Amino acid sequence: MILLALLIVPLAAGPLAFLLRRRHMMEVINLAAFAILFGMAAVLVAQVLRNGSVSLWNGFFYADALSALVVLLSAFVALVCSVYAVGYFRHDESSGVLQEAEEVGGRFGVQKLREYYTLTPLFVFSMILVALANNLGILWVAVEGTTLASVFLVMFYGRETSLEAAWKYAIIGGVGLSMALFGTILTYYSAYGALGTDTLAGLNWSVLAENAGHFDQPTMRLAFILVLLGYGTKAGIAPMHTWKPDAYSEAPIPGAAMLATGVLNCALYALIRFYILSSKCLGPQFGSRLLILFGLLSMGVAVPFILVQKNFRRLLAYSSIDHSGIMVLALGFGGPLGILGMLLHMTFHSVTKPLLFFCAGNVQQHLKTDLFRKAKGGLIHSMPLTGAAFLMVTLAVTGSPPFSFFQSEFTILRAGFSSGSLVLSVLFVCFLVLIFSGFLVHIANLVLGDDPGVPQANMCGWKRYSVAGLAGVILVMGFWIPAPLFRLIQNAVGIVVGG
Amino acid sequence: MHFVPNPELGNRIITLMAALVLVLQIAAVGQRWIISSIRIFAVQSFLLGAIAAVIAYFNQASHIYVVALLTVFLKAGLLPRLLERLVGRIGIRREIEPLINVPLSILVTGGLTLLGYVVAESFYHPEETSARAALGHNTLAVAIALFLIGFFTMVNRRKALTQVLGLLSLENGLLLAAISLTYGMPLVVEIGIFFDVLVAVMVLGILVFRIRETFDSMDVSKLRKLRE
Repeated sequence: MILLALLIVPLAAGPLAFLLRRRHMMEVINLAAFAILFGMAAVLVAQVLRNGSVSLWNGFFYADALSALVVLLSAFVALVCSVYAVGYFRHDESSGVLQEAEEVGGRFGVQKLREYYTLTPLFVFSMILVALANNLGILWVAVEGTTLASVFLVMFYGRETSLEAAWKYAIIGGVGLSMALFGTILTYYSAYGALGTDTLAGLNWSVLAENAGHFDQPTMRLAFILVLLGYGTKAGIAPMHTWKPDAYSEAPIPGAAMLATGVLNCALYALIRFYILSSKCLGPQFGSRLLILFGLLSMGVAVPFILVQKNFRRLLAYSSIDHSGIMVLALGFGGPLGILGMLLHMTFHSVTKPLLFFCAGNVQQHLKTDLFRKAKGGLIHSMPLTGAAFLMVTLAVTGSPPFSFFQSEFTILRAGFSSGSLVLSVLFVCFLVLIFSGFLVHIANLVLGDDPGVPQANMCGWKRYSVAGLAGVILVMGFWIPAPLFRLIQNAVGIVVGG
Repeated sequence: MHFVPNPELGNRIITLMAALVLVLQIAAVGQRWIISSIRIFAVQSFLLGAIAAVIAYFNQASHIYVVALLTVFLKAGLLPRLLERLVGRIGIRREIEPLINVPLSILVTGGLTLLGYVVAESFYHPEETSARAALGHNTLAVAIALFLIGFFTMVNRRKALTQVLGLLSLENGLLLAAISLTYGMPLVVEIGIFFDVLVAVMVLGILVFRIRETFDSMDVSKLRKLRE
């Protein structure tokens, strides 16, 4: 039942917001829907911890610890972003940015806001569906659904550059997803001999995972490569990452934050599911090598672009490419330690990354630019809260202690060394250090320094409290992970490694 | 007396039609007019629907008839009409400027077809002499070739609309693989796929139109503002 409720709430909230006329009501609907969603995600976590797995309709929907983790993270991100979105769009409206966007799109009134508040719940619905679908075909449909909903978010402002970004995103995403579909078809084909069934259950992951040992190996090999390329495109790992900087810098901040965390989690989740199948069929070696290659490549690609970056919104996108690289690498290192590192990293990333986007959004809205050159530095004087949070979250994201990324990256490093890949682990550390220094120099220059005489920022409560609250959560997470959450992560590790 | 179709005959028909689909794809690569590219795509989709029907008939898999109907209605009927209307609205019927000239493109396509066969070869199990294995072998090669050629078309063509066409023909390759290898994946999935293809085309259609509005051209190579 809880599974159905998790899907219905966002699915109902979207059309409901579409029918409403007042901005105020749309905000309330979104906030309420995502608050309920987060509560229900917590209930799902409790049930999964108690029973191991929850399923509905003969296993059509299925949730184990791994899916519950992704659902919880998606719901958290959606809730946080919806709180920030209220303040963000009110600011946009009062500064006339929305009106401009409407003129370009040929619309008027509260149309633009309605577009956002209708599409976001549908976007979240697809993200939840990704985690709850047992059928690998439905999983694919849901991932495609996240793309469709978010293409409109990327072209929200209707500028020339947003259209270009949306076009790139739609085309690259479309090709990537067709590769993923091909991989899914081939997975089904490789299972055909073992299962010999064309019933509905034939594509169910829980059925496939039980029989994966008897799959046709050459077919599974090609299937995994295609799936890795396909969902890897959605996760934005190099060399399929080129849509990311454009899409992240053009989407409105709350949408971009959801793209950077929610969609990334969904893509990685799909990848993990196929990784489990492939390591049961082919042994873990085959998948690992590919994953390590793509993971390190992504980190390596991110380094130079972070070092010389001129635009702080694009900087965030490269940081996201770096982080998806780290997670893919951790999956490649494998073993209980590597998977634990990966899932911890995914959790911390989902909690931390939105704040980075919110800070960048505040700065952009205040200074009306996203270039370092025009920002002139000294932000701490005109926006004390945002400036301090920006600096803190930069330290957190680059993995310095006491923040939680330090733990996950350390765990991944241990996994790397214990799997015997000394050279790769050293390379991993080098990339981390380079990214740390590049990122910190950029943001320190932006935040610290003399007062350039910019007027004080006037932020509304919605923006202030979402930044301050999230910063508090990140600080606490550095020292303490709630015990049930950690148990959930450990159970999920068990599913990937042994289940 | 119940008529039992001869599966051998079915396989031959399917292989023949798959070959035709491939020929059409290669013809589309050599095509210089957008309108004719769209029509070739329509015919190709129609053939694909026919293949689905033949598979459904010879294997008594009645649920594949649904796939056949959906393919013919959506991909051979509705989509090409939508695209043609879009072309009429934007007013570009002129030839497409590919990056690589036509003879060379066709040569590349030949190479890609060969690659498709090489890849498909690795799935061939001679010890499994069943008709299904042999059928899978041939059509999988065609499907992979369609996929690769569609990919090549997307890279090679600069017009937004032809890129969409490339994506669609790439998806035709997928569909061929799905129906011929596995005799149709579970039905829910197929409906989902078609739904998605449609919505995707709607998104792309809007996008194409908006690009036209803002840039006064459909040339993707003019989308060059976002760079490092």
